[in-house]
Amino acid sequence: MKKISIDHLARVEGAGGVTATIDGQTVTEVKFFVNEGPRLFERLTVGKTPEEDLNLVPRICAICTLSHRYAALRGLEKALEVKSPAKVSLLRDLMHLGEMIESHPLHIFFLALPDYLGYPNAVAMAAKYGFEAKIGLEMKQFGNHIMKTMSGRFIHGENPVIGGFGRYPNREELIFIKNRAIQFLPFALRTVQLMCELNYPDIPESETLFVCCHPGGDKFGLVGDEIIISNGDRVDVQDYKKVTNEFIVPHSFCKRSQYKGKPYSVGALARINNLGERLEGEAGRLFKKYYNDRWKKNPLFNNAAQALETLYAFERVPQVIDEALKLEDPAPVKWGRDTGKGVGAVEAPRGILFHAYEIAKGRIVHTDIITPTAQNAEDIERYCFLAAQELLKKGQEDKIRDRMDLVVRAFDPCISCSAHMVQVTKAPADDWKARLRSLTVEGPAVFIGLGREDRSDDRAGLELARRLRDGGLQTVWLEQELAEAPALEKTPGRFILLDAVDFGDKPGKVCLLPLRYVLWNASLSHRLASVLSAPLSYQKLMDSYLLGIQPASILEGGRLSVEVEEAVDKILKALQN
Amino acid sequence: MKKDKLKIGIYELTGCAGDALLILDCEEELLNIFQAADIQSFLMAKSDNIDGELDIALVEGSVSSEKDLKELLDIRKRAKVLVAIGICANLGGLQAAFLDPKEWEQNLKKVYGQVEMINTKPLQSKPIDAYVKVDYYLPGCPIGKEQFLSTLTRVLAGHPPEIFRFPVCVECKWKENDCLLNRNIACLGPLTAAGCAAVCPSHNLPCVGCWGPAEEANRTAEYQLLLEKGFDREMILRKMANFSGTRIADFAARLKGEKK
Repeated sequence: MKKISIDHLARVEGAGGVTATIDGQTVTEVKFFVNEGPRLFERLTVGKTPEEDLNLVPRICAICTLSHRYAALRGLEKALEVKSPAKVSLLRDLMHLGEMIESHPLHIFFLALPDYLGYPNAVAMAAKYGFEAKIGLEMKQFGNHIMKTMSGRFIHGENPVIGGFGRYPNREELIFIKNRAIQFLPFALRTVQLMCELNYPDIPESETLFVCCHPGGDKFGLVGDEIIISNGDRVDVQDYKKVTNEFIVPHSFCKRSQYKGKPYSVGALARINNLGERLEGEAGRLFKKYYNDRWKKNPLFNNAAQALETLYAFERVPQVIDEALKLEDPAPVKWGRDTGKGVGAVEAPRGILFHAYEIAKGRIVHTDIITPTAQNAEDIERYCFLAAQELLKKGQEDKIRDRMDLVVRAFDPCISCSAHMVQVTKAPADDWKARLRSLTVEGPAVFIGLGREDRSDDRAGLELARRLRDGGLQTVWLEQELAEAPALEKTPGRFILLDAVDFGDKPGKVCLLPLRYVLWNASLSHRLASVLSAPLSYQKLMDSYLLGIQPASILEGGRLSVEVEEAVDKILKALQN
Repeated sequence: MKKDKLKIGIYELTGCAGDALLILDCEEELLNIFQAADIQSFLMAKSDNIDGELDIALVEGSVSSEKDLKELLDIRKRAKVLVAIGICANLGGLQAAFLDPKEWEQNLKKVYGQVEMINTKPLQSKPIDAYVKVDYYLPGCPIGKEQFLSTLTRVLAGHPPEIFRFPVCVECKWKENDCLLNRNIACLGPLTAAGCAAVCPSHNLPCVGCWGPAEEANRTAEYQLLLEKGFDREMILRKMANFSGTRIADFAARLKGEKK
């Protein structure tokens, strides 16, 4: 058994890691974990005033500081019935565009591009790619300039407040930003060309759901009161829990999100996939030129999507400023009420961010913050698993580490977003025996034998189940009994599926792996149609495991091969102990 | 040439990574720093990091897990000079707002449930000097660019850094701002350490205290002034507590002691 671990993910904002465990020809465990200690922001804000909340929550993350502030402002203003004037909305959009212009080029040129061009860091890359490094630096610097002008500081500026701004930028400051943005256009075009014409590896590729804010109207945008999902569904932001569905996968110790039973992705790629058709101007033209079906299934294209959004931001800044300059600086807005609930959502550079508040008599009584990286965690693991499993199958084990690194970084995870990220465990899987034992020690197990009677080794799962039942075990089901699934669903305990599975390994090889991985792995999942078509809940399936035996043969015939027979005996013995 | 360069490591414990990001935001100066010193470790900026002997270690973030603690002890062992950067490393940060271990534990359970963390054990947030000797402190949330560059330059040249011990009000006067207290806005400037160039008051906004308590403020007088303005005790302490971390207990005790 081999364990590949990337302990310190360098060049992501914050510190996290990934581990993958390989058992023969099968990846049995992939864990994306966060090394942040707990910070308890959702509790820190309780008892505080809405103004204090705005001092605190941007500190969740230095990179997304203004997105947190913007989401909090939207949530708090909804709760307090504050309607911010049109000029305030425009200037908030400007500060938000500034954050995109700061974050995307930083990620593209300094965090992602060195990987694609084969350098250990941006400084090393700059020796050969001085022009690119300079564009990146200047764009980021300009983004910082916008953020500083609008918020008061590079990081954690306090200027945007409920109902407006402490100090409004003056005409000269806005015109300066507008002119600089226009000067940057050729460089933004070059950035899109560079990032859209990279040769992105085709492992991993797999469809997913994309979730982002729906900006309303018919324009591209980064905030909204509705959520749009790539399957066409629309959900009111106030009902965000219908989308995020946070749940705990027992024994993986991480709050995860799933929509309608599927993991989903958020971020630049989600926005471009869901709303790219709405892009206008040069961004619209280049979207049409470069967009293709691979963007829907390859997470590495997030880097290309970030480039398109950077161009969008540079084109949008002058428009926003022109509109804002037509309006007077508004007077401070009073609260409509001091008690109420409200949810705010904005697109942080790395995806949709929710801030939900409940306020009573001017004090916060409940806070819920759901960060993009927490929502991406499930898909980050899924794509890492797919990358590792496919490379392993192709005999390119040596590439697994770097590829997983690339995948995680493509998601641009902001790991200091620890508001909701529970640390993921990396229980070292010694072997299937120890893990099987710990699973059965943790709680009751329901064994489900799968297979076909007339196909030699494919009988293994059924045979194993029957022998368990003969041994007196009550909670055993056979494939043909799955029609009674409602009763099965109600049976307490974790499902452990028993089946002959072609892992591409030596006959008789036993592997125990979470069922989720099997569902993610097309080459393994076709055998599980009977289980998947049974009306079992997603959570139940997510908590299930597959105990598979590599068959020697599944040709017609009535006998198990010697190797599989031995494996069946070993499993029975392990379970008896 | 490279051998003669001082070896620097920049490390992030638990926090928002804002101080490391601010260093990254130094851009042109950063390239100069990369030339003037040998940056051995800077996770946010490079992947070829080395954990060896260091002349200067800059540490951001609070100790909030056993992993943080292990890393900090290791850094201290390797570094000749250790500088705590940012409010989390200096005072424990926002996450150190729960002082009572029981209260902290209850809130930990409220957020994370009964989940047992296997990778590393969470610890109640503490500043790094709760565990190791800190040579210099650079406050701020996040640290200020000017203070950072001047501190690093001085430490690189073997001199102790010059940190402002006076409150934000001094910087506010330098900028000739109108005093917000005169407009009855509850500004924490009189109690908060300077170094930010009075950024919030310069935006018509009250100081929120993000540099932590000022060492040389005339606390009794300033505190009395705030009370006379009609701001209540609970509000002042609650606001100070948002950023003062573990130092708030000492701060509150001194205020009580000084008030006759």
